[in-house]
Amino acid sequence: MGAPKLPIQTPGPFPEIPAINSENSYHKDEPIIYTTMENDVKVYVWELPVRLYHWINAAAIILLMVTGIYIGKPFAGAGIPEEAYYSNLMGWARYIHFFTAFVFTAAFLYRMYWCFVGNKFAKFNPFRWVFWKDTFHTIKFYLFLKNKKPHFVGHNPLALLSYWIFNYLGSVIVILTGFFMYFEPQKETIWAKMFAWVPYIFGNSFTMRSWHHLTAWAFMLFIVLHVYLAFRDDYLERCGSISSLFTGYKTEPKKAVGEKHDK
Amino acid sequence: MKRQKTVYEAAIDHGFSRRDFLKMCTALAAALGLEFTQSEQVVKAMETKTRVPVVWLQFQDCTGCSESFIRSSQPKTESVLLEMISLEYSEVLSAPSGHQAETSMKQVLKNYKGEYILAVEGSIPDDDAFLTVGGQSAKATFLEMAAGAKAIVAYGSCSSWGGIAAAHPNPTGAKPVTSFVKDTPTILVPGCPPIAEVMTGVIAHIITFGKLPELDQFGRPKAFYRHRIHDKCNRRAYFDAGLFVENFDDEGAKQGYCLYKVGCKGPTTYNSCAEMRWNGGVSYPIQSGNPCFGCSEKDFWDNGPFYTRRAKIPGTQTTINPDNVGLAVVGLAAAGVTVHAAGTVIKKKLDDKRGEEHE
Repeated sequence: MGAPKLPIQTPGPFPEIPAINSENSYHKDEPIIYTTMENDVKVYVWELPVRLYHWINAAAIILLMVTGIYIGKPFAGAGIPEEAYYSNLMGWARYIHFFTAFVFTAAFLYRMYWCFVGNKFAKFNPFRWVFWKDTFHTIKFYLFLKNKKPHFVGHNPLALLSYWIFNYLGSVIVILTGFFMYFEPQKETIWAKMFAWVPYIFGNSFTMRSWHHLTAWAFMLFIVLHVYLAFRDDYLERCGSISSLFTGYKTEPKKAVGEKHDK
Repeated sequence: MKRQKTVYEAAIDHGFSRRDFLKMCTALAAALGLEFTQSEQVVKAMETKTRVPVVWLQFQDCTGCSESFIRSSQPKTESVLLEMISLEYSEVLSAPSGHQAETSMKQVLKNYKGEYILAVEGSIPDDDAFLTVGGQSAKATFLEMAAGAKAIVAYGSCSSWGGIAAAHPNPTGAKPVTSFVKDTPTILVPGCPPIAEVMTGVIAHIITFGKLPELDQFGRPKAFYRHRIHDKCNRRAYFDAGLFVENFDDEGAKQGYCLYKVGCKGPTTYNSCAEMRWNGGVSYPIQSGNPCFGCSEKDFWDNGPFYTRRAKIPGTQTTINPDNVGLAVVGLAAAGVTVHAAGTVIKKKLDDKRGEEHE
């Protein structure tokens, strides 16, 4: 199926089973449950924990980035010379950064847990040939080339990959380096000892900060691409990608899910 | 071999009183980070232990560490040199030279095998052509002396991490002592140079307790390298308040604001400068208005300019301004996205039109 749905493709009769793709061939025992409307179906795609994670994570990233940039390079300060006891600007920036970091970490851990117990749209399995075939076609789709990208009800495989590389791997890097730096002044505590192995991977204090800082910017790059592609998907596919992030429901053409599970 | 004098006997011989000796021991206990009640332990050790033979080898160095060492105030350098240790070989301080000096080094190896402390200043070149003393390469001398030593004390950032000589592209193949020995216990005392009291304190600790001080994961004595400069800094209040020196000639610099924005590496540097200070506790770089450049940290020589904050691209020697590069990358992405969005709209319009024609 090409990028835009061409009107010449008359609706129905729908195939029994949609063409095999990386999405519907994974966890066949968990069928896509949907309610039928006229030519479309309503599918519950994003469960509440996934939506909560998405928005908590988004808010935390913005807050962490703003305070993080200030901590790395303080861009504001008292305009007139004063004594230190009048203000606590860096103190607050650090406090907000650290507090948000704990929220960010908790949300991340919960999302990782949901990879195991969530519905099939919350899971990920790259160890299949069809996954990489679909990824290749998705890349071609984004490059305006002729492609055989199937329609995906959940994430397309390229999006999934980008979440795992930018978001989840990125989160692991910032969380590990961040907590090491957070507990750095109290080396003798149990908390610091939990992260004492981090320097063996990320180097000394200076290199550790470089990892943290550069990964933060990778998140910014990800946000630009992610937000754009989400709106683009909504524009081309007209299946309610953006509103599904609030409601959890997407409106899909019947042929994307097949009639097998029609009730 | 005649009986060695104890540290106490040596002190009395040099005209110190018992009172002076006790004062020295108490101050030493404090410098070692011991409790007051433990100073008795120091006294006992100094009364019973003989002077420790020390061989001080210099390789690719600037003698800065020796210079720092001889400025120790507590314990005083003369008491260390004359009472606590017996400096058997030193290129800077020994009276004999040439073959006599080299012979005395061999004598130590014969007489005090397994007892002497090997102090090393400077990095060791992998390529022998760059450093040969008395016809023997630095590496050979070091390996020979390290094998019989009780412990190795690596003084300075060169012998601890590689130092200036190891700066990119490292023409001599300079390496720290730890990459040549594995069996002999080694203490790293980094710094360029290390604080004098730390240098003497490490030796005093070995004499007092007969073993190495507690070391951290990098092999540095915890007593002196457990704190970050940043956490003990006298300007820390200005950091938390968000008051920063922007230039070395601005009002903030006069007010004594935090030097974070002019590149202070205090937040990533482990040393006792902020607590022990230099020259007998007079001052230290940050107190004097100069940002710390992290001279006791590994790779400080390759971590970019001293007076700006930068980030290193992991795995390279390249440092960048992370925010400028990050903004540029995000800006490029945004521009790319705009073009791509325009393409998407045009393609959709064209496709829709073609679809209508087909009907």
